[in-house]
Amino acid sequence: MRPVSGSRARLPRGEGPGAWLAAGSVALSLLALLALLSLLAVRGLGHFWPAPVALVVLEDGRQLAGERVREVPLPEGTGRERLYRTGNRDLDGARWAWVPVSAITAVSHPRDLVVLERRRWGEAIGRLTALESVTGERLEGEAAWAALEGRLVELAALRRARDTLRDEVILPRVRALEAGGDVDRELAIANARLRELQAAMEGGRLILATADGGQLTVPLEEVLRARRPNAMSPPDKLATWGEGVWRFLSEGPRAANTAGGVWPAIFGTVLMVMLMSVLVTPFGVLAAIYLNEVAHQGRLTRLVRIAVRNLAGVPSIVYGVFGLGVFVYGIGGTLDEWFFDATLPSPTFGTGGLLWASLTLALLTLPVVIVATEEGLARIPDQQREGALALGATRLEMLTRVVLPMATPAMLTGVILAVARAAGEVAPLMLVGVAKLAPQVPVDGDFPFLHLDRKFMHLGYHIFDAAFHGGDVQSAMPLVYATALLLVLVILVLNLTAIFLRHHLSTRHGALTRR
Amino acid sequence: MPDSSSPPSIRRRLRQGRDRLATVLVTAGGIGVIAALLAIGVFLVVEVVPLFWPTGATETISPQALWLSLEAAGDPARYRWDPTATLGTDEAARVSLVPLAWGTLEAAAWALLIAVPLALGAAAHSALFMAPRLRSRLKPTLELMEALPGVVIGFVAGLVLAPWVERHLADVLAMLVLLVPGLLLAGGLWSRLPPRLQQAMPLGWAGLWLLPWLLLLLVAAHALSPWLEAWAFGGDLRHWLEVRLGLDIAVRNAMIVGMAMGFAVMPSVYALAEDALSGVPRSLAEGAQALGATRWQTLWRVVLPAASPGIFSAVMIGAGRAVGETMIVLMASGNAALMTWNPLDGLRSLAATIAIELPEAGPGGQHYRLLLLAALLLFAFTFLVNTLAELVRTRLRLRYRRLGGGP
Repeated sequence: MRPVSGSRARLPRGEGPGAWLAAGSVALSLLALLALLSLLAVRGLGHFWPAPVALVVLEDGRQLAGERVREVPLPEGTGRERLYRTGNRDLDGARWAWVPVSAITAVSHPRDLVVLERRRWGEAIGRLTALESVTGERLEGEAAWAALEGRLVELAALRRARDTLRDEVILPRVRALEAGGDVDRELAIANARLRELQAAMEGGRLILATADGGQLTVPLEEVLRARRPNAMSPPDKLATWGEGVWRFLSEGPRAANTAGGVWPAIFGTVLMVMLMSVLVTPFGVLAAIYLNEVAHQGRLTRLVRIAVRNLAGVPSIVYGVFGLGVFVYGIGGTLDEWFFDATLPSPTFGTGGLLWASLTLALLTLPVVIVATEEGLARIPDQQREGALALGATRLEMLTRVVLPMATPAMLTGVILAVARAAGEVAPLMLVGVAKLAPQVPVDGDFPFLHLDRKFMHLGYHIFDAAFHGGDVQSAMPLVYATALLLVLVILVLNLTAIFLRHHLSTRHGALTRR
Repeated sequence: MPDSSSPPSIRRRLRQGRDRLATVLVTAGGIGVIAALLAIGVFLVVEVVPLFWPTGATETISPQALWLSLEAAGDPARYRWDPTATLGTDEAARVSLVPLAWGTLEAAAWALLIAVPLALGAAAHSALFMAPRLRSRLKPTLELMEALPGVVIGFVAGLVLAPWVERHLADVLAMLVLLVPGLLLAGGLWSRLPPRLQQAMPLGWAGLWLLPWLLLLLVAAHALSPWLEAWAFGGDLRHWLEVRLGLDIAVRNAMIVGMAMGFAVMPSVYALAEDALSGVPRSLAEGAQALGATRWQTLWRVVLPAASPGIFSAVMIGAGRAVGETMIVLMASGNAALMTWNPLDGLRSLAATIAIELPEAGPGGQHYRLLLLAALLLFAFTFLVNTLAELVRTRLRLRYRRLGGGP
């Protein structure tokens, strides 16, 4: 801060209008950034909060029940209208209802309104009138609700058991069978167990009275979760919210990416980025060492250095084109001809996949790592090198024992920046191997465990796909917000780490460079 | 040569051998990596050549088809990008790259129009006026802003900002009208404040305490917009634009792309411009201030001229980023290959075209090679622009060193 007397001495003269416009541009940029981040945070996290369900009575006597989404002015400026998410798509074909505010006569929030999350058809909203249990017993009122909750817990346990059985017992056996193994007996036992579980899930249904007077019969095995948002206490809501966030992070997508979670996309992004950093770190460091320590520091090296710096500014889509042309069509096509001749019309490596995507992104982030490492190497004073050499070390020993340890924070910074950049890149991936929906993650218990030729899901592409290619963008939006928030958080954390490391680096080696 | 069987000598030879091996490996690896990087340009050129040079594999097209007008052929739209429309027919494909280049440059121009004033203003403020403590926080914040992925910005621009702007066109206009007078008003009001309040809100922290003022301006713009619409545009701005000016209005248009990409490009321009401004030797600025110049006069007359090559290279880098940005344009522009001056109409850029069409274009075909040509154009443009910027920056560093006092 300036001393007070100094600032007072300048005050009467003023700084003129330009200074205020300049200050305003700082404020405007910060405002835009804040607006973007808070939009993502509020919409992304707010989606999981159980919203109250309103029962709306209209002028003409019709009733509807739904979560209020938003309110906008009518185009002619004659009033406002509200959007409700009413669910029950199987009854009236619509999931949303626009209602003019002027037509609403009463809004209430009855405690007995039930929101069902179903496997198909999205949500159902209504009052629980009756529940027929597995044994055929008919329950009504609170007893029905209690029985429903109990049954849902059982169903969830059964579903988990079935999924575990399928993923860990049956699928590996099926693959072994395809490979010619003799596992018929084990498979038959597992299949019988699967049928048992399936049978245990069946039976029972519930009857829901919808707000407009209709009736909806839902088999219990179709129901994933049921809640009564209006009857929930704040701690209950918080628990539901936490559970929703957890499911978003840990489950796979449902209903054409408009519902469910993003676990495969997280997995794919992380795996791809890890592979990429394994590829980019050694090569980037190698190139930087060559440029800074080995190469003759002449005109050519300077030109190469400028060229490498400039490659960091080349659009990512160009790298994607290179990846598609050279890795996928060139190398991948050749590999297919040599090793996967048997399956040829359908390509193995001659199409986009995990390996090619990682390689392309490694190439894309190579300049970042090279530049950062080189900066770190250039910071190390020559005395350190000369001292090591004078004590009789060879160049290799000087590099590995003295120079590289000192440059490690710079290398780490470079790699983290590279990871942050790679995690957010989507355009090149669209060309070299990202998939809208990949049923199998690229890692499983099947040899060779890591399937470099498979396509994978990616958080960034998931955003693009769900927001622009989905059939029902409106219902995908909350999940897109949540995914965007997740991606931004990951990248912010990575960048903060890089900034912290760089700070650490400059305080640790600052004294050395000042000569 | 001493006794070669004595252990120290063997060890020394081993060490030297290892050293030589490592040097060879590092050299080979380094050259290999750099060659792989530089191979991108070579690959694009090699793949594009058959488009113009008959090799028998692909049918060639004349370079004129890429950029000459179709007017003679009686086509209403003079330039057209439509490489797949003629698959069944024997008509020649219309492969003019002009509308795509137009869209790319238009989007970049709008982005720069928004990003450059913001970035330069912010850079000037933080180099000359800002409190050091705030400045050391602002730089990493804007670095984080630079790291925001394009797909997130594009999503917000295309699905949130674009529909909002469509509904509130007049609000946006009112905000634009109010922004500059509003900020000047803030300055005027500030100079009337009692000194105690002025010290509580110094100009060095204006970047923060102007935030509520900007929000206030936003609210004012929202309140004023119906009045503005009624007074100047006969009650409905949209209608007025469509009927009186004959403009087509698309939801996702060049202005939205400009805003989103301006937001994305601004931090990198800021970072470079701030470096250039704060790298000017302090003795120059202090000399000017000692002679009685205000800080703004110092900036305008002394610091800015000295740093102008750095500012230029910052803008160049920004242009390179804006031209190559894919996801934002893809998601916020509507991707219609139009050629208009109308900022409220859609556009289609080279990068977005590659992203959309390349997965469908079969390898080796004409369409594929055309898209590779588009990639080559992008590569060449950004590479040239960045090289220019880098050379200018190197010059600048030398100049600062000559002016003395530089690090």
